[in-house]
Amino acid sequence: MTIIKGRDLESDVAIDVDAVVIGTGAGGGMAMRELARAGLKVVALEEGGFHTPADFTQREDEMFPLLYQDAGGRMTRDLAIRVLQGRGVGGSTIHNTNLCKRTPDEILDLWRDRYAVSGAGPNDMRSSFERVEHDLSVSEIPAALRNANNEVLHVGTRALGWRGGPLKHNRVGCQMSGFCELGCAYDAKQNVSKVLVPQAEAAGATIYSDVQALRVTHERGRVTGVVAASAKAWVHVRARIVVLAASAIGSPALGIKSDLPDPFSQIGRGLRMHPGSVVAGRFERTMSSQYGIPQSYECTEHLSFEEGSDSRVWIVPAFAHPIGTAAVLPGFGKEHMRAMRSYGNLAVLTAMVHDETAGRVTVDDERPVIDYVMNESDRRQLGKGLIACAKLLFAGGAAEVTIPAIPSIRLKSASEIDALTTDFARPHSVPITAVHPMGTMRMGDDPRRAVVDSRGEHHFVKGLFVMDGSLFPTSLGGPPQISIYSFALHLAKYAVERARSS
Amino acid sequence: MKLTRRRALGAVSGALLAASTTVAIVRTRGYDVAPEIAARLRAFSPWQYVVFSAIARRIAAPDVDDGSVPTPDEVGVAAFVDAFIAAGPEAIRRDFLRLLAFVEHLAPLACKFGTRFSRLAPSDQDRVLAWLESNREGLLRGGFDGLKSCVFMGYYRDARTWKIPAYAGPFVRKAS
Repeated sequence: MTIIKGRDLESDVAIDVDAVVIGTGAGGGMAMRELARAGLKVVALEEGGFHTPADFTQREDEMFPLLYQDAGGRMTRDLAIRVLQGRGVGGSTIHNTNLCKRTPDEILDLWRDRYAVSGAGPNDMRSSFERVEHDLSVSEIPAALRNANNEVLHVGTRALGWRGGPLKHNRVGCQMSGFCELGCAYDAKQNVSKVLVPQAEAAGATIYSDVQALRVTHERGRVTGVVAASAKAWVHVRARIVVLAASAIGSPALGIKSDLPDPFSQIGRGLRMHPGSVVAGRFERTMSSQYGIPQSYECTEHLSFEEGSDSRVWIVPAFAHPIGTAAVLPGFGKEHMRAMRSYGNLAVLTAMVHDETAGRVTVDDERPVIDYVMNESDRRQLGKGLIACAKLLFAGGAAEVTIPAIPSIRLKSASEIDALTTDFARPHSVPITAVHPMGTMRMGDDPRRAVVDSRGEHHFVKGLFVMDGSLFPTSLGGPPQISIYSFALHLAKYAVERARSS
Repeated sequence: MKLTRRRALGAVSGALLAASTTVAIVRTRGYDVAPEIAARLRAFSPWQYVVFSAIARRIAAPDVDDGSVPTPDEVGVAAFVDAFIAAGPEAIRRDFLRLLAFVEHLAPLACKFGTRFSRLAPSDQDRVLAWLESNREGLLRGGFDGLKSCVFMGYYRDARTWKIPAYAGPFVRKAS
């Protein structure tokens, strides 16, 4: 196994390679495999640890510090939005729920027409999507494997005559335990660790875990390497190619710390978050929503990809284990504990906004700072989505529905929904979580509006590529992992070309 | 006596020094923590441990008084959170500890109580926490959410509490 644990390094290390990849999530994992398979000498740096299924204890208190940035406590500067991001070899592919959706054609067309992204239209990307789905064994979750929470969404969607359908996942040999967000103890996730790391290693790549990239080095418009550090040692990497794949938060932060040329002040701007909140339905029957496959059905009735659309909400189930549930249920004290006693009878839906708010990532005291204040249009979309969730839960058979706003909104019947306006849905008034940050080092051929070109290469630093969710000029309106894997696959050939020509 | 600029500055800095010393003493004295607990604290000072314990008792207050539900003290919520934030980033730890000082000294004043939070009656502590939870200032609401998340992380991590949500716990067991 060519994974070197940085915490074991006792003295400084100097590495000379063709390419260094920063971050080992969906984008970095794909980049290291592709570059290594092309015959380049590749090293990947990962700030988090390397964990195996034996490490995944299915305990929230142990897995959040292990698998999430800031132990799951990363927040926007105003503390309004919790930002859940992965940490460790595999990045967010270790804790995600395996959702696999391609970038919608409408989004790819939009990027071409409005953001000067070339060579990445629906026809250009099709083969990348197909190859990624093949590599990750993506398949639709059959109705027979739908758990109670997902079945509620299915029944509610049908009852209301709304648009919806089953989702595809990258899981094989799933034991239906429902602990996906805490890492899969059964190794059923066909993710970076399971699929891409072994393939990259077989092609000669080396991974350093527990090593944090501190600076990308560059001279006269060319990248020269990376300065990184583990707990006790410096790691100096000289490379002709640097691939930034440290997420839409980490990559721009590193870009800023590295003083990358940015004449049009684009690095860190354009942050999209796909922010969402939840609605809980209490049922008379036992639901046990924590078990089974999470998020196997979606409602797309209110999801359109047109810019400025008044329907920009994606609805899926979102059940959590007790700590996560307790944090979101409204109130505290005795009333809160009484609500927790209904845990086994709950179904929970989330509405995520295909957002148009443009936030920003900056750096303070070497740490990323996330500024994102939801605009009025997105706020209304969130309210509209939560109201739609309430309707779906009642249509699915809920006896009572709670929107965890301050003050909390408890509905006894669907008829009470009509009195609701979207005013309750405000940051700090409803718990908002973002799990899909994107768009802070956008791609496009116009350097005034984009950080990297349509080949993924920095406009002003040759040899520096970006291959993560930072690339996307807009929100995807859905889960990004297939898009990130596929764009990394699509762009890797350009990095190989650059390495060979330099 | 003529008031020179130097004398004025000296008087002001002397007053500030006296005030800050008084505040520091008020802030950190009068908190009793067993020595064996104090010796194990990693992020909290003893007074912060007392304040967080008081917060935890209200946020995770049992809904029954028959002893069938463990209290936050019984499951060691404050000790767990002490270790949890000690292992986290310095910036988050710093903000968290500042928030504890705010809850202890300033939040009660804002709610018209003249006593520090940890010495208020439980019902008054609930009023202070409710004020924070629904505060017009977003940062304070966010701070309350952070406290609440930490309390519940410390509380529902313990298997003795899982009977409340009728939760079976993990399927896998740690290798011994």
